[in-house]
Amino acid sequence: MTVVVAAAPRSRSRPIAATLLLAVPVAGLVLFFLHPLATVLWRAVTDADGTPTLANFARLLDDPGLPRAAWRSLAIGLATTATTVPLGLCLAMALHRSRLRGKLLIRGALLLPMLAPSLVLGLGLVCLLGRNGLVHRLTGLPTDIYGFWGLLLANTLYGLPQVTIIVSAALARTPARHYDAATSMGAGDGRQFLDVTLPRLRYALLAAAFLVFTETLTDFGSAVVVGGSYRVLAMEIYSEVVGQLDFAMGATLGVLLLAPALLSVGLARLAKRRQDSGDARPGQPLVPRRNAPRDLFLGVVSVIALLPLVAIVATVAYVSVVKLWPYDRTLTLANYTTGMPDGYGPVATSLGVALAAAVAGTPLVFALAAGLRRAPATLSRPVQFLASLPAAVPGMVLGLGYVLAFNHGALSGVFYGSAALVAACSLYHYHAQSFLTMQTGMRQAPEALEDAVVTSGGGTRHVLRDAILPFTVPAAVSTFFYLFMRSLVTLSGVIFLVTPTLGLASVTVMRLDENGFLAQAAAYAMCVVIAGALALGAMRLLLHAFKDRHHVA
Amino acid sequence: MHLRIDDLSKAWNGHTVLDDVSFSTAEDEFVCLLGPSGCGKTTLLRIVAGLTTPDAGRIALGGRDITALPARERRMGLVFQAYSLFPDMTAAANVGYPMRLRRESPAKIAARSSELLERVGLGGFGARFPDELSGGQQQRVALARALATEPAMLLLDEPLSALDPAIRAQLRTEIRSLQRGLGIPTIMVTHDQDEALAMADTIICMNHGRIEQSGSPRDLYERPRTRFVAEFVGRANLLPTAFVREALPGFLERRPPGAEATYELCLRPEDIVVVADPRGEGVIEETTFLGNLTRMTLSWRGRRLLVEVSGRNSLPRGQIVTVDALRGAWVCA
Repeated sequence: MTVVVAAAPRSRSRPIAATLLLAVPVAGLVLFFLHPLATVLWRAVTDADGTPTLANFARLLDDPGLPRAAWRSLAIGLATTATTVPLGLCLAMALHRSRLRGKLLIRGALLLPMLAPSLVLGLGLVCLLGRNGLVHRLTGLPTDIYGFWGLLLANTLYGLPQVTIIVSAALARTPARHYDAATSMGAGDGRQFLDVTLPRLRYALLAAAFLVFTETLTDFGSAVVVGGSYRVLAMEIYSEVVGQLDFAMGATLGVLLLAPALLSVGLARLAKRRQDSGDARPGQPLVPRRNAPRDLFLGVVSVIALLPLVAIVATVAYVSVVKLWPYDRTLTLANYTTGMPDGYGPVATSLGVALAAAVAGTPLVFALAAGLRRAPATLSRPVQFLASLPAAVPGMVLGLGYVLAFNHGALSGVFYGSAALVAACSLYHYHAQSFLTMQTGMRQAPEALEDAVVTSGGGTRHVLRDAILPFTVPAAVSTFFYLFMRSLVTLSGVIFLVTPTLGLASVTVMRLDENGFLAQAAAYAMCVVIAGALALGAMRLLLHAFKDRHHVA
Repeated sequence: MHLRIDDLSKAWNGHTVLDDVSFSTAEDEFVCLLGPSGCGKTTLLRIVAGLTTPDAGRIALGGRDITALPARERRMGLVFQAYSLFPDMTAAANVGYPMRLRRESPAKIAARSSELLERVGLGGFGARFPDELSGGQQQRVALARALATEPAMLLLDEPLSALDPAIRAQLRTEIRSLQRGLGIPTIMVTHDQDEALAMADTIICMNHGRIEQSGSPRDLYERPRTRFVAEFVGRANLLPTAFVREALPGFLERRPPGAEATYELCLRPEDIVVVADPRGEGVIEETTFLGNLTRMTLSWRGRRLLVEVSGRNSLPRGQIVTVDALRGAWVCA
């Protein structure tokens, strides 16, 4: 006699709570990321009536300024990559493979670009080395930083910390025993750098190069402040949309910007995946040998790379307390009080937007990472891709998508001109990195613990609370502050979303700079920098407190 | 309660992990799922726990079909290899966790937690956090937690693999006597044959998603049915039929009928008798003294055999010997 075997019911393997965990953040990604992105793409390949056409691209070639801007973007991207990667490598070597003292100073200086976005660096650069800059005023030298060299400098300084972080991580993964082995075979420091250090940095350097290239290509903040007549693609998109209200041409240029960014991020991902196959456990910490020439070289390069950064931020701080830059350099606090053209409104709005992005974003990203933990590959792969895709989408393209998708059309009544929309745009612009941080942190939570909760009689809620959250708190704190700080300073993503009634600090800085009110612009910039620094301090304190209190390793 | 598994199958991405597996366990039996990594033993345990859904087949516990019952309602006590304690809870809180989920009263939870910790030899350790306990102590806490809700079955997933050998041997005995005392049916997954032999009432030996053989430890050791079991459980000398016909014709009598290559004779190393004798045909090639026993490699009629004798009876390298075998089992090649 045979027993009929019914296939086991499968529905129970994904209960409702687990499904919601994925569904809500994915719905957010579709509505606030995929939908605006698709709108931009659609706009680029259709005419005013919505009929598919390639006329926009033909029109693009008719205007000699536009292809030229594309070449310039490419040139500045490549040049910045060529300067930033070697400098970042030297800084990482100074931090991890030298006996230099004052590493804390290097780390401190590298924090500055996180607080001061490219817009603020650009502003400082203009105040320092512009035609009427501090250097000209003090020495009489004919300085003129506008154009290629200004952009190169601002973007290089902006990219330095990111390269240093990526390379440092790879350096930390190289175990000391490799150097011991090389030393025992008679290899000197130079040989060891070439034979042990560099081969293990290949993929990190590649990933860093692609990252800097993408960031520079899509940067708007320094382009608008120090670009001057050297107009790059980001500037052209801005003037097409804001100046001529030509959304179709803006979208077409956006696609032009999107293509190399997508390619670059894709290649960076590939490089990163290869690199991950390194040693998980570095073992004994590495103590660099005494080598005075090496330390001298790394020290000098560090100073050359970081001194301008400190000088530029210091200049912004100085200019913000000057009466009438550059003509009357009497010190005053008026720019922070009565002299503020828009009061503290834009700063408050920026803080609110940043807080909203962080408060909404952290749980969303947490849910997404948690939901993907046990999801089958057929589901997790596309979602993983979607969640990381924002890294490849320039802020301007996403912002333009928001204008096209939400300011016109069916959803405009709900969202137009709202701070919530700006917060959403910031959140999804920085979604990839937040998600990656959260997911990496969540890997600390052992799967056995989840199983233990379930067999103890717990549901999805208990799994999240008792098995995953305790391990993920540091990552969640980092994600929260990352979103907050990025949203606070972003310009490219939100430039199209501000309205006369909805001012943001970063946009105010740009407007004041355009109109020559550099001292006031600097004051608003400093507000953002100080708020960011406070947030960073709060994050450090929280992470430290957490480490002391819990037994989670 | 007894467990009954019928025709269980599972595949991951087209790769078969469990292939039509059936077995059943008795009331308070200690069953070991033994096999190399990738043989499907852990998947089988996870299916019993309800953590993995089978593609086909049925699981019944105490006569009740639980195939579709979610893990959280199955009342199985599970102990994992490692890392399954909540790091931010004390040992007592870890043990009390399943009871808190069941909304027992705090007083009852506290009493039962300390009783269970006492039972696994950790009385007084209730206030410690997992990172303040040794690996062995952590596994004891995990065991206490698994027992907290008076589970219908205890499922152990390589609970001793991550521990030091000395602690491992000690915990083996303790787990076994705890299980006997509670009379709780238990399934333990392991790849360690010594562990399985030492602990199990019944060993289910698995390979490639199928059950190769099940039976008492003695059964599997003395009467392995397949070459895989012969080699995986203990050490074995496997001899082809033609060789046996020439060298040990006395064993041919009990050979099951079948083609020349279908069966091999399995001789356990301690069942081979060697006697120093200059007229013999065997030569001792290698001798390893291990204290209580001596392991020797023997060259005999063109084959190498592994022989084990008591430590005191070791023979020197190069010694000429006569060779005979006390007992052997025919296994499927």
